[in-house]
Amino acid sequence: MARKHRDVLTVEWVKLELIRTAYASRGGLFARMDPRVVVLWYLVLAIVPWLTHNITVLALLFALGVVSVVLARVGPLVLGLFVIGLGFDIVYTAVASLFFGGGWETLAALGMLNLKLGAVSMFSMAAFVSLDPEKLSDALLAFRAPKLLAFGVSYGYRMLPILMEEFITVFDGHRLRSAPVERPGLFGWRVVVRVAKTAVRCFYPIFLNTAVNVRTTIEALETKGFTYGAPDARALRLGTLRVAGIDWAVCAATAVLLTGAVLAGQAWPMFR
Amino acid sequence: MTGATVQVPATSAVEDAHGPIITVRDLSFRYPGAARDTLRNVTLDIPRGGFVAVVGDNGSGKTTLCKTFNGLVPHYWAGEFAGEVRVAGVDTFTSCVAELSATVGYVYQDFQNQLVRPTVLDEVSFAPVNFGLADHRERATEALETLGLMDLAEKFVWQLSGGQAHLVALAAVLAMRPQVLVVDEPVAELDPARAEMIYQRLAALNTEHGITVVTIEHHAEFIARYARSVLLMDDGAPTWHLPVAEAFARSQELEAHGIPAPQTVQAVRALGLGGAPRTVAAAAEELRRLVPAGSAPVGCAPAVAETGARPGTPGEPCAGDGRGEVGTAVVRARGVAHAYRSVSGQLEPVLRGIDLVLAAGERIALVGSNGSGKTTLLRMLAGLAVPREGRIVVDGLDTRSASPAVLADHVAYLLQHPQQMFLTDSVRSDVALFPSQRKRPGTTELVAQVLDRVRLTGLADRDGRTLSGGQQRRGTLAIGLAMRPRLLLLDEPTSSLDSASRDDVIGMLADLRAHIECAVIATHDMHLVAEWATRVLVLDRGRVLADGTPRQILSEAGVLARARLRPPQVTQIGQALGLEPVPLSVAELAALVRGEEA
Repeated sequence: MARKHRDVLTVEWVKLELIRTAYASRGGLFARMDPRVVVLWYLVLAIVPWLTHNITVLALLFALGVVSVVLARVGPLVLGLFVIGLGFDIVYTAVASLFFGGGWETLAALGMLNLKLGAVSMFSMAAFVSLDPEKLSDALLAFRAPKLLAFGVSYGYRMLPILMEEFITVFDGHRLRSAPVERPGLFGWRVVVRVAKTAVRCFYPIFLNTAVNVRTTIEALETKGFTYGAPDARALRLGTLRVAGIDWAVCAATAVLLTGAVLAGQAWPMFR
Repeated sequence: MTGATVQVPATSAVEDAHGPIITVRDLSFRYPGAARDTLRNVTLDIPRGGFVAVVGDNGSGKTTLCKTFNGLVPHYWAGEFAGEVRVAGVDTFTSCVAELSATVGYVYQDFQNQLVRPTVLDEVSFAPVNFGLADHRERATEALETLGLMDLAEKFVWQLSGGQAHLVALAAVLAMRPQVLVVDEPVAELDPARAEMIYQRLAALNTEHGITVVTIEHHAEFIARYARSVLLMDDGAPTWHLPVAEAFARSQELEAHGIPAPQTVQAVRALGLGGAPRTVAAAAEELRRLVPAGSAPVGCAPAVAETGARPGTPGEPCAGDGRGEVGTAVVRARGVAHAYRSVSGQLEPVLRGIDLVLAAGERIALVGSNGSGKTTLLRMLAGLAVPREGRIVVDGLDTRSASPAVLADHVAYLLQHPQQMFLTDSVRSDVALFPSQRKRPGTTELVAQVLDRVRLTGLADRDGRTLSGGQQRRGTLAIGLAMRPRLLLLDEPTSSLDSASRDDVIGMLADLRAHIECAVIATHDMHLVAEWATRVLVLDRGRVLADGTPRQILSEAGVLARARLRPPQVTQIGQALGLEPVPLSVAELAALVRGEEA
């Protein structure tokens, strides 16, 4: 089996996809909005599906979710994981309900739950793919989340590519220095076990290396006045946020579509 | 820290325009739990507007001393603190880190970890925002402009190269408009060309903006060219603090503390002259008197190459000339091309059309500026990645058909950062990992032998991360040796090492010649190239720009300029004197000059 360089479905691709997702580098509608409005928009849409049992309304919300995902330019990795997750969910609920004495009735009930979960997941993807770490941390700060949480979120994003890089390096080190698997076994189970074991072993060096590196970060935070607590710091940080026309437009469109969905649900109600 | 009650002055108070900016009186400090004082009875002044290089052995208290200037000692590192430190008139003991940081900016040796925000602009305005300064935008812009970094403002910090990241860390500190800058070992992590740039910026900040600069440094070249005074620390106390010329007149004392004199000084000394020239031009001027004007260059080194004798060390084969005994091919690469996909989705080429044959018996230095494709080529040779185009055969195995684990029986690849190679909790088990996993007979003896060879037997049961930089490097070397490879690949084995550890590693690499058939080192260290390699490959934007002996390469000014390389000072002196062929070591220079004298 000849090895060939591949661009997708490799560890490197996963890393790039995560970075693109985390840093909103694909742009999209919601990336241009005020982060506070995006978070509020998300909160509303994440709650609404739970307030109804009307399948008509839920189906329309699901469709709205699809539209938001397209507008937010969600990348293939996250989208693929979502589709696979939803697909497996549908398959196993069907199998479970038929096996354990349920009928189509149970299946319909579980299907509705999947419809709700799917819609909420898509709104989450659309919102969080569009918020880069700085925006998300500013939005959290604006909603009076603790300063440490807001900072932690942005710092986590900053560390993400570095930790992935470190993980790949250490994993490769293990790969080179342990013996190759001679007989893969049925479905290559020995390879799977090896990969799982190695992935766990990688955490030892990564934790220690990161702990060493973070010492400097903590001292640096001290010198940058992070714990200083100047009263105006929050106002200054949030001073650049502006709610503009696009924000109002998106809010208005969402309100119209939500109302439309509810009215349609009343006109053509469908319950199981 | 009692930050909440302290006011940060918007502009730092200048109380005494002429006196020293930092005064230290009878300072002693002991870290909590330590058996003895790290700083012992230190008294010194840092003059306002000075450029001070702090030198001394590892563990002499250099970094601890510098951390007293911004209050990290004793406010962050609480310990037994006695004596007094005043910074711009403020007693650090009654102040706090935040307040002092407005006056003293600190750039760490591992500056990458100092960057805490996702984007450059956010990072640079982070401190002013935290201090509630309304003009934070202007301050950030001003700092970025001062260092010429405006193009980077919107970049994410993980997209920056090493040199750019260092400048951003510096800009973030400048945004507080400090009066003092402390920079801890700027050269350690950067290639020489970028280190030079950092020093030029620091010099400009010092002369044009009147900022006092304190650097912790052990590269004599940079100290000699940029610092105004040298503070020698020994065992927690200053031995002396002298103007730079006087400091280099005491080069033996510096040498005893791990600062070998720059080659300019060594060259002059080797020829029996006094004086301590601090630049290549000055050294060449001194030596010109010894070279008879108009005399045709005497063919000393070609004779050297023919007889195989190295000037100064008769009988030793010379590193700089000839390829020596070249055996069978260990690596054959044909038409190798590779490109990475960037975050934006574009293909960014790193290697283009590389054709190479590396033979047994060769010691190859792979040089070129950052981003020229050195590390990618090493990863391809180790089989960690396969090229998009072309074919690489290592020791008879095509990297496309053999997995990296199989190739590891033939190739060992040592990473640039040693800590990433310490996968277990002791050096011994790290060294044993490869042979024991592959059930090699005699693993225990092999490991003991290898640890002995790199002089780590006494430390073998410690976690590699707890060792010093030089020891860590030797640990990775032991890991490589225990793999018994035909081809050994090393990525930057001498970066971020002090001079003594660096010489140690170079010496060890030289001793290992007999045990490894073919070695490739990717490096920026031209001393390593001159002293160790038999062949130099210069990479430039993914292509082989030049391929030859160190002497050939180091005398080709055009190649060096394109690849952003700087030959060792002694080679530069040789060029300035018009010596032919150029010398690669102080001993060779001395022999050449003497030869022409006679």
